Amino acid sequence: MNKKRYEQINETLYEEVLANGLKVYILPKKDFHKTYGLFSTNYGSIDNVFGYQGESLKTVPDGIAHFLEHKLFEKEDGDIFQKFGEQGASANAFTSFTRTSYLFSATDQVKENLLTLLDFVQEPYFTPETVEKEKGIIGQEIQMYQDDPVWRQFFGILNNLYPKHPLHIDIAGTVESIDQITADDLYTCYETFYHPSNMTLFIVGDVNPEEVLEWIQVNQAGKKFSETKEIIREFPVETAAEIIPFSAIQMPVNRPKAVLGIRGFQEQLPSNAKDQLVFRTGINLLLEMLLGNTSHNYLQLYQSGVIDDTFGFEFSFDRGFHFADFSTDTNEPDRFTESIQKILLNFRDDSEVNEKNFTLLKKKMLGKYFQSLNSLEYIANQFTQDLFGDYTLFDLPQLIQEMTLADCLIAGEQFIQNKAFSRFYLEPLKKEV
Amino acid sequence: MTIPIQPGISLTVIPTEKFKTIRLFIRFSTPHTRKKATSRTLLTSLLETNSLNYPTQTALSAKLAELYGASFGLNVSKRGNLHQVNVSMTVVNGKYIEQEDVFSQAVQFLKEILFYPNICDNQFEQTTFELEKKNLIAYLESVQEDKQTLASLKIQELYFNKNEDQKTPSFGEVSDLEKLTASDLNETYRQMLEEDCIDIFVVGDLSPEVVQKEIAQLPFAQGLRQTTDIFYRQPLENQIREEKLTQEVLQAKLNLAYATNIYYDDRKRYPLMIFNGLFGGFPHSKLFLNVREKASLAYYASSSVDTFRGLMTVQTGIDGKNRSATMALIEAQLASLQRGEISDEELAKTKAMLKNQYLLSLDNPQSLIETKYLENWLPETKQTQKQFLNHIMSVTKEEVQEVAQQVSLEAVFFLDGE
Repeated sequence: MNKKRYEQINETLYEEVLANGLKVYILPKKDFHKTYGLFSTNYGSIDNVFGYQGESLKTVPDGIAHFLEHKLFEKEDGDIFQKFGEQGASANAFTSFTRTSYLFSATDQVKENLLTLLDFVQEPYFTPETVEKEKGIIGQEIQMYQDDPVWRQFFGILNNLYPKHPLHIDIAGTVESIDQITADDLYTCYETFYHPSNMTLFIVGDVNPEEVLEWIQVNQAGKKFSETKEIIREFPVETAAEIIPFSAIQMPVNRPKAVLGIRGFQEQLPSNAKDQLVFRTGINLLLEMLLGNTSHNYLQLYQSGVIDDTFGFEFSFDRGFHFADFSTDTNEPDRFTESIQKILLNFRDDSEVNEKNFTLLKKKMLGKYFQSLNSLEYIANQFTQDLFGDYTLFDLPQLIQEMTLADCLIAGEQFIQNKAFSRFYLEPLKKEV
Repeated sequence: MTIPIQPGISLTVIPTEKFKTIRLFIRFSTPHTRKKATSRTLLTSLLETNSLNYPTQTALSAKLAELYGASFGLNVSKRGNLHQVNVSMTVVNGKYIEQEDVFSQAVQFLKEILFYPNICDNQFEQTTFELEKKNLIAYLESVQEDKQTLASLKIQELYFNKNEDQKTPSFGEVSDLEKLTASDLNETYRQMLEEDCIDIFVVGDLSPEVVQKEIAQLPFAQGLRQTTDIFYRQPLENQIREEKLTQEVLQAKLNLAYATNIYYDDRKRYPLMIFNGLFGGFPHSKLFLNVREKASLAYYASSSVDTFRGLMTVQTGIDGKNRSATMALIEAQLASLQRGEISDEELAKTKAMLKNQYLLSLDNPQSLIETKYLENWLPETKQTQKQFLNHIMSVTKEEVQEVAQQVSLEAVFFLDGE
């Protein structure tokens, strides 16, 4: 087992890739009562067209990754929550655009809970009857999200930025798309994406790493998997010209909500993993300088009433896509989106982008980083993202310290382009006269 | 360890090496009223926005960035009869960033915020006041855009319909907010600093001596600080209150409120926790299994208890046409527990889950603080971890059944689509 010591953050991480391809990380945390286990596959809602090298590709209904996540909890002899309950653990799962993750938190019976996690994810049980029944529950979940203005706002801008790419589709799919899902579809997706070579297991807590690894090795050695084949995923090719520059919907809200989005294009990205991490960090720092709560731009917009505490922005960087979104509740959506777009496009000449602010915001970023390490869940989730090759969450402090203002400006040149912007408004319902 | 600072003010230090941070938490507690809830919510916005020596948000934010991205914020909450203003700050432990005095600087920062607010001539600075008031009104008006929140506020309003204060949420009422002036807020501020009970907590790898020395620099006024019975009680009514609201939503919400008449200092609290776990508190509970999983009627169906107001609530998100089917299923689950239909396995599972939940909470700085806060307010409930777990583990089926028989449905709220 590979052991790596990180002095600055006072952590020791153990890593191993098993014979079947499963990547295992173990992070001992003394004094914690909790052990957290996260078992994650590199498979999310956007992976709807796929197959193996040299074979024809399959297309499956939208929302199937999330549907599969729900269905793995049900077994022939009942619900797996019951078993975790007997072992005093809480369990859960979540599906994102690019990953599906299963987890438990336990303070006792760590071995039993860990093996339950591995076994329930690796022993699918889908029948036509159980699949039909799930459609009602997930239909309710989809409707619940449809009533949530924040969710609608987020997917509104994604729909503009990615009109063809499956990123614009709700992670849970639609009531119509999930209605088409069959047990056979679930097995197809399962067999492709739940192969150990496409998965990561992260264990963090007050554990003995050698012992834990042995439990995992024995468990995995007792199971048969097909040989590892390279998975092909296909996505529609889109150009900046296809971005929908503006759209709006109406909902029962009190004030308009406005979002400005910028779509990044993969071909703008640097090719190696470290440079991509520098790019992501550079954009985050640049946006903080331009619009963070220490900037004059922010203060000006706040004091003139264009934005309030609902203002926020995020740069999302994931497998195969990256974009930024800036949103607020405001009575002046046009003034908001125009001001933000102008500030962003002017990043080279903005007086906020200077060495002094850069140093201050690096300090802030480093401090936020240390605060985030209190959360075992955050650590595990970040590790299983596995986006930057050998560069992990624990390499970040050094990388942050080495960042330069020039890195931010280069990243800005790559990302901020006039043709890549879009606006989305969520407006109050028009009052009937 | 808890150190009295002066009557009504105490400091609790929770030393631990578990975290890479130090958390500072100051809670101001006073008897909750509708009027106070509103003005104190606006006060938290004002104190969080700027201060005399950090006159703009950016100056204040720059100071926090300088302190290695310290997290800082104020908010309000409610517990039983108490209204609480919470001030929290988290800084990285100085040893990770080679800056040993970061805790001391954090205390200095809180001193600026709490003792030198942006007040001139006995009123808050007018521009900030107007803007923050406007923003807060907009925020309060948008709270109901989240339909789960809306349903939860409505069921409480209905349950506490006879008590103007208790039915008001911790953040108050928009109509009261509109009338407030910059000098009213000065009075709210003065009252909070001089008359509230104050509980201060520090969690992290620091010695109590160091903490005490720093906290001693906060110049709290001497005075009579108002205390109150934390528990809110109200008589049962002989008619169930019902309300239906129609809005343009896809998913309907059915929320119920029951009186339990069981409070935090009562031994029945432990059987109540088990009862809630079996009824709707966990994924293995009757509501989750029967309403969501078996009948496929809901995406969520759960219950929770409030032992400071003797209340239990049930919340569900359903298809509007299934209202009566859902209602019947919820009642059937309760009836089953009232008949004592609890297997040994279910009981053991619920105990194991509660034990797990309790031990997990010990890894969370804020949970440690909340436990200590209650020990300050209700010293007679103080117990060791072992005692708490023993109480949970020794609950019998009969005790759970007795609790189930004691709860009574008082209010039903239904949000439906058009």
